[in-house]
Amino acid sequence: MKRFTNLLKKEIKELVTKQLIFSLAFTIILFNFIGQVSKKEVQKAIGVQTISALDQDGSAASQALIKGLESARFKILDQSGKTKDQALETAKAGESKLLLVIPKGFGASLTELKPSEIETYSFMRSFSLIGARGQIVVGGVISALNNILSNNFLKDKLPGFDPQSLKNPIKSKDYVVVRDRMAEGSAAQVAGLISQQSLLIPVVLMMIVIYSSQMVISAVAMEKQNKTLETLLTVPIKRTSIITAKMLAAGLVGLISAGVYMFGFQGFVGGIGEEAARAGVQAGGATMMRQLGLYFSTSGYIILGLSLFLAILVALALAMILGVLAEDFRSAQNMIMPLMFMVMIPYFISLFADINTVALPIKIFILAIPFSHPFLVSQNLYLGNYGMIAAGLAYMLIVFIILVIFAARVFSTDKILTMKLRFGKKRSAVA
Amino acid sequence: MPNVLTVRGLTKSYGSQMALAGIDFEVHAGEVFALIGPNGAGKTTTLRIVATLLTSSAGEIIFLEHNLCKEPDFVREKISYLPEEAGAYKDMKGLDYLHFMANFYARTPEEEKEFVDRAVAITELGDRLRTKVGTYSKGMTRKLLLARALMTKPVLAILDEPTSGLDVLNALEVREIVRRYVREGTSVLLSSHNMLEIEFLSDRVALIDKGRILDSGTPQELKDKHNAKNLEEVFRSSVR
Repeated sequence: MKRFTNLLKKEIKELVTKQLIFSLAFTIILFNFIGQVSKKEVQKAIGVQTISALDQDGSAASQALIKGLESARFKILDQSGKTKDQALETAKAGESKLLLVIPKGFGASLTELKPSEIETYSFMRSFSLIGARGQIVVGGVISALNNILSNNFLKDKLPGFDPQSLKNPIKSKDYVVVRDRMAEGSAAQVAGLISQQSLLIPVVLMMIVIYSSQMVISAVAMEKQNKTLETLLTVPIKRTSIITAKMLAAGLVGLISAGVYMFGFQGFVGGIGEEAARAGVQAGGATMMRQLGLYFSTSGYIILGLSLFLAILVALALAMILGVLAEDFRSAQNMIMPLMFMVMIPYFISLFADINTVALPIKIFILAIPFSHPFLVSQNLYLGNYGMIAAGLAYMLIVFIILVIFAARVFSTDKILTMKLRFGKKRSAVA
Repeated sequence: MPNVLTVRGLTKSYGSQMALAGIDFEVHAGEVFALIGPNGAGKTTTLRIVATLLTSSAGEIIFLEHNLCKEPDFVREKISYLPEEAGAYKDMKGLDYLHFMANFYARTPEEEKEFVDRAVAITELGDRLRTKVGTYSKGMTRKLLLARALMTKPVLAILDEPTSGLDVLNALEVREIVRRYVREGTSVLLSSHNMLEIEFLSDRVALIDKGRILDSGTPQELKDKHNAKNLEEVFRSSVR
């Protein structure tokens, strides 16, 4: 144990460098900075926005439209008395996001039940989605006005009838059924909320796997590059202890690094999310999700954590073997690529497709990748597929055991010194 | 003198390539036994097998009456190995490196201190031991590594080209240190292609080429047998 602790301390000291601490601190600062900038942008987008309005009609209807916009938190700069070109120039030079032109005859057309047109000119000073929100809201206001005007007309012409019922004689009341639970809502809404809830899982997994694996691969490759591996392999410590010490150190430092990164990431996402939620941009669906049982209980979180932990162990064991294949630190950097792809494939597939319904060969391929299982755990927990969860956990455990046995075998035989992945000329192992 | 190490019919092949074709030799207690030969002769492969780094394809190695292949953990407790191109952890201070290595062998803190004190004396690096290994010259690093190899007073020290890349003064110093520890009871198995150095350092020598031992004996015996002035001439005569 004393020898193991001695080696573990050395491994941790090697990994926790000034560069790592600087990089972590920098990331937190950077994420927070981006979060703050994004927060301000969101605040601007959901706050009072300035638009210019040129009312060439001056009717009650046009005034109602402008009033409607004011009540939708728009600051209206009145351009009355100007020509369209003058109004455009003024609005463009100012801070207006949009110029709304209500042409002459707008009110009269509405009264005569003829289609009325208004013109909007959006000034695109940036191409961000938040920047384009002004026009979306104007569209919403116009749609609301259309609704009010048509309702008023129907009330006038067909008194005693509900205008909404006349316009939409068929109504749908949407329910979602998950297993034996039912709640009012749409499937799209549920899918959206689940995707939001599960957003952090792949991010956490990718961060930890990439950090820890890179550390293990580099730790072995650096021993080779600095010519310290041969000496280490002849000291009285079990080869399995060498593997465990390297994996444990990388796992610990990787977990802490990932935790720090997640903290920074939360600062970034929180910056945007909080403001958007405050403005009511995100529709609340917590009640519906509770009714459907689509939330993690304590045991759910434990299962998810266990799944992530096993995935990390698999990654570390795989990284250990890849580290042996690497000749030096530089080639170790390339070795991380296949591992990254193995994490990214299930991530991207889970974004665009339902792994449970894809073609069988693709499904087998995805399930064969051990890192797919943590992605599936949350879905399976929601759907009560405990058999699938258990199979996934067992599979990861088996893969981990096989990889560790293989890594221990590699470390206990000549392969640790002779096994190399070369892309160039072969070199003799004899000296 | 009893044997510390007995090697019989040692063979090592990498696929179809034969690195060692059945070699035999012994290392007696308290002697320096040297393998000499050109690059690629099989010296390092032999040393790596004895150091438990590589496994043999055939043959038997007995270390202190224990089968080396079957009991590598026992062997690692009693030997130390200095590879030809060894390095130390560059971000560690010299003293920390010695403590780190001593910790693997010492059973008590007192023993660890004893090992480190001995190593500090061998290196003669003084305060430089408090600086990072990455800042050391090649000679300083080699002395640090030699000190690491000898500080535990191993039963058998396996030294691969111990003076490789060192200047004349540093090489001389290293040879003197090795001789001193042999006098104190450590046996040494070393390899070199510097035959003059071997003549100065070794009690017995084996000439190795293409994975075979051509001849062995004391330097004087070999010189007499081959009617040669030095070991270089002995080697030339043996190869012919």
